[in-house]
Amino acid sequence: MKALAAEASKLASLPAVWAATAAGVLVPGVVAAITASSALGAIDRGAAVTAPIDTGYQELAFGVVGAIILGVVAVSSEYVTESAESGGGRQITTSLTAVPSRLRFLLAKTAAIAIGAAMLAIIAAGTTMGVVRVVLGEHAPALGAGDVPRLAGVACYWTYTALLAAGITVLTRHGVVPLAVLVANTSVVSVTYLLTRIAPPANYLPDMAGVRMFIRDLAGSTAEIGPLTGGLVMTAWVTALLVIAAIAFTRRDA
Amino acid sequence: MTVPRQATRTRGREAVQALVAELSKLVSLPATWLTLGGTLVVNPVLAIAYTAAGLHGSTGTTSVPDIGLAPIGYTQAGFVILGVLAACSEYTGGQIRTTLTAMPRRALQLTAKHLALAIVVLPAAAIAAASGVVIAAAVLGGTAAPVTAGRAAGALSGAAAYLTLTTLISAAVGALVRRTLAAAVVLLGYLFIAGPLLRDHVSAAKYLPDSAGFAMWFPPADEAGTVTPVHGAVLLTAWTAVLIAVAVSGYRRLDV
Repeated sequence: MKALAAEASKLASLPAVWAATAAGVLVPGVVAAITASSALGAIDRGAAVTAPIDTGYQELAFGVVGAIILGVVAVSSEYVTESAESGGGRQITTSLTAVPSRLRFLLAKTAAIAIGAAMLAIIAAGTTMGVVRVVLGEHAPALGAGDVPRLAGVACYWTYTALLAAGITVLTRHGVVPLAVLVANTSVVSVTYLLTRIAPPANYLPDMAGVRMFIRDLAGSTAEIGPLTGGLVMTAWVTALLVIAAIAFTRRDA
Repeated sequence: MTVPRQATRTRGREAVQALVAELSKLVSLPATWLTLGGTLVVNPVLAIAYTAAGLHGSTGTTSVPDIGLAPIGYTQAGFVILGVLAACSEYTGGQIRTTLTAMPRRALQLTAKHLALAIVVLPAAAIAAASGVVIAAAVLGGTAAPVTAGRAAGALSGAAAYLTLTTLISAAVGALVRRTLAAAVVLLGYLFIAGPLLRDHVSAAKYLPDSAGFAMWFPPADEAGTVTPVHGAVLLTAWTAVLIAVAVSGYRRLDV
């Protein structure tokens, strides 16, 4: 518990985490404002009757970039080498002096990341859905009981993505590679989406399976995966990666 | 009695020495070769994926340069990282103080760094562009849509120039931000998330560096008011020059 409090305190004192929070709230919020106003234009012209079913959710799929930054910097900040004048040390040596059990350290770290990402997802989902409602007014898709599991799916997807980012960073011990790969794959047409066009098994990659938890109308989908199955597939990926990261972390020099 | 002449070097010699020093730093950085190597391995893999998608008919085109260059949209991430690393590696551990002791003229030093980066990146960009097109041509074979040699050459040189200029922009942003991760997030977030969304919703976005640069090698839409490849090249060069100028003036004014 003390280890978790320490990790949460480290996380909250990192400026990069606040930048990640800003990105995670602003990206989906601003994008939702833009897409909702163009959807409103289409409705006013008579080109569409209602806003698309995924309004708001589609934007939250981009906003996951905030969770990615959170997961990466939470781990990479431990491995940043101080300048020679201040001893050339790394925070990880201090962290492991304070919490010598590596598994306990990693558990506390991932728990802090998961809590942070889930909170970020809840704030971002609230903001984005609020923006959609304000812009679309009466044309906004009604929020009903069916949206509760979808919004829970958003929180789940963000948390898992942050954990994936953290797990990869534990293996690389530097933030640039996981950040580049994961952010590049958040683009409108992602690499994994391209792979699903060639090989249907690619639908079971973590991000493609995970978005099924809340996206209902996936353009050009080549496989039918239910929300629950998608969530379970992503859970399996995250678990596998974290186990690999834990094995590597406990067995190698810090 | 003879007065000993003070040893001075001419401006030209100083510039050459700065360029040689920057080149030596860049090629001795393992990160340079890891990034370039990784990018040049991923690019053909994605090119194969795109070509396979093209054979399935799901890319909407069977033109060799269009499919072969499509992976550039993703592998530019590697070039962005290279530019950021070249600029920000000075600030990990205080190498910048040694650099500025040896080369006190800051504008000259940063310009030399960008020039050295361009010298290293241009061949790599040409290889990345050519490898995709060669793979697409080999796999598509007779099923490819016919293209003129001029269009293919234009797209190839456009893609290589686009990657080089994007790397220089990344180095300029890196020199301003000075932190590897922060600069990488800003650039990748712009190129992969903000840029594509702005392009779809805001018409003035076609003059921004990413969209203008895409016009240099991406198939242009047949409608009035689109940016032609030449205009795109001019726009992107102007963006690069402005950003480097901003980076140089910031570098001259700020403490290290």
